[in-house]
Amino acid sequence: MEAPPVTMMPVTGGTINMMEYLLQGSVLDHSLESLIHRLRGLCDNMEPETFLDHEMVFLLKGQQASPFVLRARRSMDRGGAPWHLRYLGQPEMGDKNRHALVRNCVDIATSENLTDFLMEMGFRMDHEFVAKGHLFRKGIMKIMVYKIFRILVPGNTDSTEALSLSYLVELSVVAPAGQDMVSDDMRNFAEQLKPLVHLEKIDPKRLM
Amino acid sequence: MRHSHTYLFLLVQREEKQLEASLDALLSQVADLKNSLGSFIYKLENEYDRLTWPSVLDSFALLSGQLNTLNKVLKHEKTPLFRNQVIIPLVLSPDRDEDLMRQTEGRVPVFSHEVVPDHLRTKPDPEVEEQEKQLTTDAARIGADAAQKQIQSLNKMCSNLLEKISKEERESESGGLRPNKQTFNPADTNALVAAVAFGKGLSNWRPSGSSGPGQPGQPGTGPILAGASGLQQVQMAGAPSQQQPLLSGVQMAQAGQTGKMPSGIKTNIKSASMHPYQR
Repeated sequence: MEAPPVTMMPVTGGTINMMEYLLQGSVLDHSLESLIHRLRGLCDNMEPETFLDHEMVFLLKGQQASPFVLRARRSMDRGGAPWHLRYLGQPEMGDKNRHALVRNCVDIATSENLTDFLMEMGFRMDHEFVAKGHLFRKGIMKIMVYKIFRILVPGNTDSTEALSLSYLVELSVVAPAGQDMVSDDMRNFAEQLKPLVHLEKIDPKRLM
Repeated sequence: MRHSHTYLFLLVQREEKQLEASLDALLSQVADLKNSLGSFIYKLENEYDRLTWPSVLDSFALLSGQLNTLNKVLKHEKTPLFRNQVIIPLVLSPDRDEDLMRQTEGRVPVFSHEVVPDHLRTKPDPEVEEQEKQLTTDAARIGADAAQKQIQSLNKMCSNLLEKISKEERESESGGLRPNKQTFNPADTNALVAAVAFGKGLSNWRPSGSSGPGQPGQPGTGPILAGASGLQQVQMAGAPSQQQPLLSGVQMAQAGQTGKMPSGIKTNIKSASMHPYQR
């Protein structure tokens, strides 16, 4: 039995279904500087923000075929910042007019004992990585340019190696369900980053 | 009887309304067409030395678009068949008619015997009629099959030409970029998106299918061996200890199933890790 697409589900339980609209692309290391300059010009005027995050992805295997996935993220360069727990639903495909990937999204700030809590609940860590890069904002749009580092020794975030010679560029908006004009704004912004970066809707299921 | 009368009356009324509405639509379309034709002619006559081919193409495209919409209006299901309507001049007079002047924007001052044959004409010019007759007899002469074949070959040639043009356009664009450095690599994009979406290339204990370019999988396994005891430490902290021996037994069984890497390394990892697959 398939659940109806989340964009149609009404507000239930006092919370609004938030959707994440996403466009992704990449930029090679040697073109990073030009991209950063362009983004500094296009985005809201603020101090350039860098981040160093450690993300762990937890799976809960139930009786259903597909496991439940939760993402726990902590900041490695900002002490005292809360941990960030995130649930991302399946991307809603099928609407050719929608220019961005849309998926249900739940974001929660948690305290530091998040991993212990998840393990007690029965989650097991599937994979983890370190993300290091830059963060820009334009209105409600968030642009992240970061490099993914593979953690060689689980649990040890010092021994890492870069996954590829490129930076991942993500343009995302978290908005209440049903606001599809957001994807038009995102596409217009993505146009301004061409031909440096080609931001597009990438279906992860195609890459499995 | 009265019901049928009222029904007929309503029908006639509806048709009249439709006629009026479609006439209005036609009028506006034709007015637009006239305006764009006028501006094109003006452009050709006055700016011919500065005129560029794209600008001429633009005007042509505009005209063709307007003709298209005109056709659509005519073909619209709500427009009655104009063929069934007949215009008969009721009064012809050689005097100036101010109303007519106003309606035609000063082009037709008099509704007289000279004006009517031109404006109310329904047959095309004799030369045009000749040409049309010629074309229809030619077309009929060829026969349906040959005509179909000609249509298909025309379509094929058009699509070939279109393909060539678009390929040329694409190649010239990328050819221009190739001496400049490429700023992104689509394969990298896919690898990174896969890594973030479901951990492709990130998990240390799964044989990773495709790591990013320039990152061979083998060096990753070295530190794993050394850190196997480290693994044990980390996992033990998170779970009750009695589960450990049970899981390791299960992992050994799984190692037999999915063996791709050398078994020595596999057993080390599997015995130490508490893999999410078995709960």
